[in-house]
Amino acid sequence: MSPETTAPRSLAEALRARDDASLSALLRSRPDLITPVPTDLTQLATRAGTRASVVRALERLDRFTLQTAEALAVAREPATYDELLGLLAGDDGDPAATAAFPHALATLREQALLWGADDRLRLVRTARELLAPSPQHPSPTGLGPTVGEATAGMSPGRIQEIVTAAGLATTHDSVSAVASLSALFSDRSRMSALLDEAPAEAVEVLSRLVWGPPYGQVTAEPAPHLRWLIARGLLLPTAPGTVVLPREVALHLRAGRAHRVTQPVAPAVEAATVHGPGAVDTAAAGQAYTTLATVEELLKDWHEGGPPVLRAGGLSVRDLKRTAVALDVPEPVAAFWVELAYAAGLVASDGEADERYAATPAYDTWLELPAAERWARLASAWLAATRTAGLVGGRDAKDRTLSALGPGLDRSSAPEVRHRVLTLLAGLPEGASPDADSLLARLHWERPSRAVRPAPDDLRARLARWTLSEAELLGVTGRGALSAQGRALLGLPAPAGATATEPSGPGDKLPAHHKRRAVPPVTAPPPHSPAEQAAATARAVALLAPLLPEPLDHVLLQADLTAVAPGPLERPLADTLGVLADVESKGGATVYRFTPASVRRSLDAGRSASDLHAFLAAHSRTPVPQPLAYLIDDMARRHGHLRIGAASAYVRCDDEAVLNEILADKRSQEFGLRRIAPTVLVAQADPTTLLAGLRTMGFAPAAESAEGDVLISRAHAHRTPPRQAPEPVPDGPPVPDATLLGAAIRAIRAGDLASTAPRKEDPAAGRPGDGTLPRTSSAETLATMQAAVMTGEAVWIGYVNAEGAASQRVIAPIRVEGGFVTAYDHTADEVRTYPLHRVTGVAELAEDQS
Amino acid sequence: MNGPLIVQSDKTLLLEVDHDLADACRRAIAPFAELERAPEHIHTYRVTPLGLWNARAAGHDAEQVVDALVEFSRYPVPHALLVDIAETMDRYGRLTLSKHPAHGLVLTTTDRPVLEEVLRSKRIAPLVGARIDPDTVAVHPSERGQIKQTLLKLGWPAEDLAGYVDGEAHAIELDETGWALRPYQRQAVENFWHGGSGVVVLPCGAGKTLVGAGAMAEAKATTLILVTNTVSARQWKHELVKRTSLTEDEIGEYSGTRKEIRPVTIATYQVLTTRRKGVYPHLELFDSRDWGLILYDEVHLLPAPVFKFTADLQARRRLGLTATLVREDGRESDVFSLIGPKRFDAPWKEIEAQGYIAPADCVEVRVNLTDSERLAYATAENEEKYRFCATTATKRKVTEALVRRFAGQQILVIGQYIDQLDELGEHLNAPVIKGETSNAQREKLFDAFREGEISVLVVSKVANFSIDLPEATVAIQVSGTFGSRQEEAQRLGRVLRPKADGHQAHFYSVVARDTIDQDFAAHRQRFLAEQGYAYRIMDADEVLADTE
Repeated sequence: MSPETTAPRSLAEALRARDDASLSALLRSRPDLITPVPTDLTQLATRAGTRASVVRALERLDRFTLQTAEALAVAREPATYDELLGLLAGDDGDPAATAAFPHALATLREQALLWGADDRLRLVRTARELLAPSPQHPSPTGLGPTVGEATAGMSPGRIQEIVTAAGLATTHDSVSAVASLSALFSDRSRMSALLDEAPAEAVEVLSRLVWGPPYGQVTAEPAPHLRWLIARGLLLPTAPGTVVLPREVALHLRAGRAHRVTQPVAPAVEAATVHGPGAVDTAAAGQAYTTLATVEELLKDWHEGGPPVLRAGGLSVRDLKRTAVALDVPEPVAAFWVELAYAAGLVASDGEADERYAATPAYDTWLELPAAERWARLASAWLAATRTAGLVGGRDAKDRTLSALGPGLDRSSAPEVRHRVLTLLAGLPEGASPDADSLLARLHWERPSRAVRPAPDDLRARLARWTLSEAELLGVTGRGALSAQGRALLGLPAPAGATATEPSGPGDKLPAHHKRRAVPPVTAPPPHSPAEQAAATARAVALLAPLLPEPLDHVLLQADLTAVAPGPLERPLADTLGVLADVESKGGATVYRFTPASVRRSLDAGRSASDLHAFLAAHSRTPVPQPLAYLIDDMARRHGHLRIGAASAYVRCDDEAVLNEILADKRSQEFGLRRIAPTVLVAQADPTTLLAGLRTMGFAPAAESAEGDVLISRAHAHRTPPRQAPEPVPDGPPVPDATLLGAAIRAIRAGDLASTAPRKEDPAAGRPGDGTLPRTSSAETLATMQAAVMTGEAVWIGYVNAEGAASQRVIAPIRVEGGFVTAYDHTADEVRTYPLHRVTGVAELAEDQS
Repeated sequence: MNGPLIVQSDKTLLLEVDHDLADACRRAIAPFAELERAPEHIHTYRVTPLGLWNARAAGHDAEQVVDALVEFSRYPVPHALLVDIAETMDRYGRLTLSKHPAHGLVLTTTDRPVLEEVLRSKRIAPLVGARIDPDTVAVHPSERGQIKQTLLKLGWPAEDLAGYVDGEAHAIELDETGWALRPYQRQAVENFWHGGSGVVVLPCGAGKTLVGAGAMAEAKATTLILVTNTVSARQWKHELVKRTSLTEDEIGEYSGTRKEIRPVTIATYQVLTTRRKGVYPHLELFDSRDWGLILYDEVHLLPAPVFKFTADLQARRRLGLTATLVREDGRESDVFSLIGPKRFDAPWKEIEAQGYIAPADCVEVRVNLTDSERLAYATAENEEKYRFCATTATKRKVTEALVRRFAGQQILVIGQYIDQLDELGEHLNAPVIKGETSNAQREKLFDAFREGEISVLVVSKVANFSIDLPEATVAIQVSGTFGSRQEEAQRLGRVLRPKADGHQAHFYSVVARDTIDQDFAAHRQRFLAEQGYAYRIMDADEVLADTE
């Protein structure tokens, strides 16, 4: 860092010495430090040293920087620049590691994980604790404890024995003995001389432990070669039967390297195949078109009310399956489309009592946009979404199935991984599709897992795989390579010969050494301003638009009752045809089949046969085939031949004149009468009303039964459904039985006991019977309770229930744990559990009463 | 990007036939895509695993297929589809059946995990013998067909390079005096012989018998010919005597009435599948001679027991002949694994365009039921409904009118129900051929029809297959076996033989309007409409009015 007159004594001092640019770099890379904004640098330093924040920062380091931190954690504290470099580059000085080292050091320093001048490098204490090896948390370095740590607690006599066996002079105290021993182990030439004498088997044992884990098992009677090692302290006992290889010895055997393999240089992403850029862009555009068609189809499928929302949220497995069948895609892909529509705000729950999914008003607006813009909306929504469709069908930590559109699908790192993967793709030559494994290796280098043995399929790797497949589905990539429109959407400059300026990412404001870096900085997606985002989207739209097929205004009709639209159709045409015929196959073109059912559907939708003929003639490039014309005419001839409606009552009369009279009468209007045949009227009013009404109009109608007989009306008795006779109501409550009485008395006595029991004198507390609750401090309450559990005695407590009502109880505690006391409650005569924080106080009962 | 081909997401390919590049495209995709529909403007091809493996068997590789799609496609071809095609094609040939000098029939692999995978299958385990080396496993020679069938079901079709036995040699020559094999027939024979075994798909009337004769002339070995029925068997015999160096005595008939086994034996499916006490007594015919070639006529009708037996005949050359690979029972994959891949295919319209089959005018005549018939139809039991509407009296009037209209031409009236046919025969004053008509009587009537002595013949479904009526120019179908698509194709085939005078053929289907007869007719016609035969629709009244 900057030259200092006095060395900083703490992280806070080191921070204080930094300039503003350097501090803002820190805060940019660790934004959690300014939420909320710290009051001063001391607070900032404290916060930067908290475990959560340090873990977060460590997880965001690239592999080499992390390895540097790991090496520092096993180095002497404070370490010098050269010591640390030695641990990474080894005794023979790996040139790549030496070259990358200053940058890794600067990164750690910038992120406030490391402080101090180059001669006094210190890792922040929390980071050291996290990274230093311990028996419970072995370090990725595979190093064991130092001689000093391993011999702590060893008897001085034993230490002197070891020192002597190792060929050193005895010392006065253990501290100097340990120091001379570790000096010997750290001295390459003396150490080599010592090991030259070692028996061959002993060397073999050492070579087994050298790269870790450094612990080994020995029997009570070790073999001679092990005894040789143990005697000289080359293996130190940690526990009975266990020995450890001290760190200094391991480092000697490793030629000074803290890691078996250091990876100072990011692995390059390899190109698998290179397609012509034109092929990539058109393939991507084709897929972009499919995206639009699929999302529209999905929402058309859900047009009249989508699937219901599960009580726990999300789409049921069955509905997802059904959707997958409807879209003719595998279920994971269907889940992706559904989630995409959701992320873009095109579909949502309708919030009704029986919730269902439905298109949002935004969908209608979206439909009006030009195709390329529709795609850009979807793709931008996908880029920024934290929801990950790839998780659908998996299980969460509680073993519940994760459903599409349901909760638990958010992964906050998803946008960052997507952006990173696509940026890496952008780094490949134009038209090149990546080798997935090299891409994953690179991502893993940039954010290594801190686990000693990282799972091969951690979340980042899965997110990256999903990104590749989803980008392909969406048409951000084509045949695996980033398309021009995808690149534009990301806000990345065109690959070659372009004059576009570097987007203003964090790179511009970083300290100068960042600029020299061969690898682009691994940071969160560049925070585009809305204006920049809009410009990027517009560029993508402009690139995509000419590649999308133009909508057609015609179809080809064929005699086998099919129609082929050899490309996308204009929307009104597609809508009408979608009703008139069934879709048989989709893709670049659409094949429709006319069936009697589909033609009837169209007639039901209010089209007439002549409409349909005109429609087909207008939109067909070829004459309408005769069988199709016949099909439409046949259906039209029969359509509506039978008419069905609902009526509540009818009036029939052989005399048409009487019906005319009724219809003409104004008073009949209220019955909703309509003539459906010369001698039949139907009414919306029910038969009784109609009968009464016609009678008042002066007619003498008779009611008819369902079989057509005249109903004879006569008075008949009216009956209720079966009913019980009333119970007698005596004065006062019923006489209690013996059980009830017994219980009541017990309760009363117990209550009495609680309020009157004399207890040990305690002036601070209330007194039973005087109505006040006992009051003791919570510590005292706990102690008394625990004592009562031991003795099995009953105690008197004051207790406030959930409603805030105070009461006094006498209880015999059985168990006190987790802030609850379980006790036999004399007052209630049962075992109950009370939260301790609701107990106001406790008092022992006087001896004679308990 | 303005090719004639559109690739659909369901793996169908749409080919715009009026496009300039349509012919080039058709040639490029025909090896791997099955023509599914060929109506007037857009032909539909389907890419299926079987089709892709057929292409592999014919020596095409995935790159050619992908190139063809990418070159001719109008829109970008989905990458996933290309990957899928490459992967599917790659599955063929990973496993090979071949002859091992020491161990006999062996299954070898170029990809060890595949062999491990199939060997773990419970269905494969009983079919294989000892593991010879990590890549080879012995197969019992009798399981050659069974293992191919099972491997295909597992999705790893095996390439059969184990070769064929020559069989008992027998001199057979084509006698091409006064005629010659047509170019496509020659091509079909060549493709078959080169491929070893397989299926040749040709339209009815395109001379499949001659392809068979050509194959026999190549094999020059004893031949077993399997046909659908006795009439067809006689037909084959007749044709073979006429077109080849074979004499009557060299050809035997193995049917219900005669049981001759000669160097060339023609057997019916029916006799082979006759079952007595749970066994098929006549299946030993397959072993009765050292056959060099087995011919299956009308492969799409091959009954299941014959499949079973064919599985044991994998060392003999097999040729399947058919007009369509569509099987109503969906056993296309068994045809592929047991008889062989498709070796030759020519669309009907193409052969028609070359003038080898007659152009046909297909008409559906719709008759209205009378009011009383409609009432009776409505009240008929479900299983009786079709019979009722198919045999309505109005059909008789229309048929008579049509016969009058084409008076002087050779007319076939085809139907399903004997009562209806008898009644028609009576009214038309024409002989009726049905199941109970003796074979002698049938042949006599057919001869008379051929000679022009009688001009109208009423036939039941016994005449569906393989009888050659060269001069029939008009067929009138009054009823059928419900919605059978291949029956419709066979019946149309009756009039498609090229006519001496280049007459247009007419195919009339008389259908009762607004009944299930019409639904069945629509289903039956689908195959032909898809083959490019557009049906016209006429009202019965027009027909009746025209002829008055």
